[in-house]
Amino acid sequence: MKRPANTGVLTAAAPLKKTGKRYRRIRLAVLTGAFLLIAVNPILNYFLHSHFLQGWYQSFSVGKLWFVSPLEGFESLLLTKSVYLPAIIGMIIPVGIALAMGRVFCSWICPVSLLLELFDGMRRAVTRKTRLRNRLLVAKKVLWFTLLAELLVSMVLGAPIFVFLSPPGLIGRELMMAVFFRSLAIEGLLLVLIVALEFLTRRFFCRSFCPLGGLLAFLGIKRKLRVHVQSESCTACGRCAGVCPMGLQPSLDEGLSAYCWNCGDCVDCCRHDALTFRWS
Amino acid sequence: MRRREFLRLAGAMTGVLLMPGMVRAKLSESPVGRNRLRPPGAVPEELFAGKCIRCGRCVEVCPYRCVTMLDIRAGLHAGTPLVLVTEIPCYLCMKCVDVCPTGSLQRVDQSGTRMGLAVVNRFQCSAWIGTILCRTCYDKCPFPERAIRLEQLRPVIVESACTGCGICTHTCPVTNPDGSKAVNIEPLQAHRRVLG
Repeated sequence: MKRPANTGVLTAAAPLKKTGKRYRRIRLAVLTGAFLLIAVNPILNYFLHSHFLQGWYQSFSVGKLWFVSPLEGFESLLLTKSVYLPAIIGMIIPVGIALAMGRVFCSWICPVSLLLELFDGMRRAVTRKTRLRNRLLVAKKVLWFTLLAELLVSMVLGAPIFVFLSPPGLIGRELMMAVFFRSLAIEGLLLVLIVALEFLTRRFFCRSFCPLGGLLAFLGIKRKLRVHVQSESCTACGRCAGVCPMGLQPSLDEGLSAYCWNCGDCVDCCRHDALTFRWS
Repeated sequence: MRRREFLRLAGAMTGVLLMPGMVRAKLSESPVGRNRLRPPGAVPEELFAGKCIRCGRCVEVCPYRCVTMLDIRAGLHAGTPLVLVTEIPCYLCMKCVDVCPTGSLQRVDQSGTRMGLAVVNRFQCSAWIGTILCRTCYDKCPFPERAIRLEQLRPVIVESACTGCGICTHTCPVTNPDGSKAVNIEPLQAHRRVLG
């Protein structure tokens, strides 16, 4: 373990903790599970005609329990100016999670997140760098612009575009197409583009260009679960800022902002226990 | 610089809005047409693109694999479900209707379904032109004597009872070079446009 030379004084006060990967391990397990859930259900549906698990993260059903993605459901209601109760009921749980915990869907469930985590891992293995550089930074506020633009353009066109091009949905659709029609849809190239953008900046798409992320972040502005800093134990070493996939600086209280997606990477990497998840 | 970029973006967006009408019409053109139908219980075609969230659950649930999914080449209607009755017709099991989370497909009776309307081309139908005594469509129709009757051994569609399921089209032995049959399912808008 390499130790930074200039923290000698502090080490005496509080011994450096070996960084654990508690949240990261759980998160990767949850991500993998969530991916397997949508990977396995076309197979069950196609070969066994079992319809217990159905759909992907645009609308997912476990038996009679239906989930509808908030952005897609909201747009459908907005564009047709009608109320359809099953859609609204299906949105209750996802919206509730977003209200309480913010963008956790993005970091803990979204299959694109898993794809990008794997890509990150490959990049780390190839370049042997622990930190991946962000080469192009876009203002974080662009996220709100994306959300508004998506809603406006959908209303102009009279058809929601994002429901079709949403990357989390695309993965599900491609898996389904592969099983059901033995072919892939061309729009899957969008996923290749998103992965390619990772070379510029980590989570380039997720940070400011995902309308679904924008809506979940908006719902999570007043969320309960946040990453808090204990300023007395923080040494401003900057590890958390280097690790954050969203390019935030948790040590400067940016974990409280709407842009944080509660992945817990910063909490894991902190050697002074200065960062913690807190429910308040 | 930022201002310039903003103007460029705004210009691009106006460009999209002022695109030649033909391109725009192509983008928003409905994929529904002869023998290309929405699953049963679909809301009117004008609403469908806005209401459907492209979740694909109707495709997954269909036991006959007749519901297919459009890809990006369908423009704004990409991702919506379509039944190609010449490939696999709809057997009116109504499972897709039950799983639709947005109400794009709404619950209807089997006999109340109107996916389209079968139209016999009397210049191509073997029974009508008198080459053979074919009554395949009559035999295969799920509502025999109600949706298809035989008049002097020639099939006649009863418009008030035809559900547009496409079983007759699928089974019709006469195939034209363009893939259509001697009995085709025409979408209902076309029917309404002609008869008011």
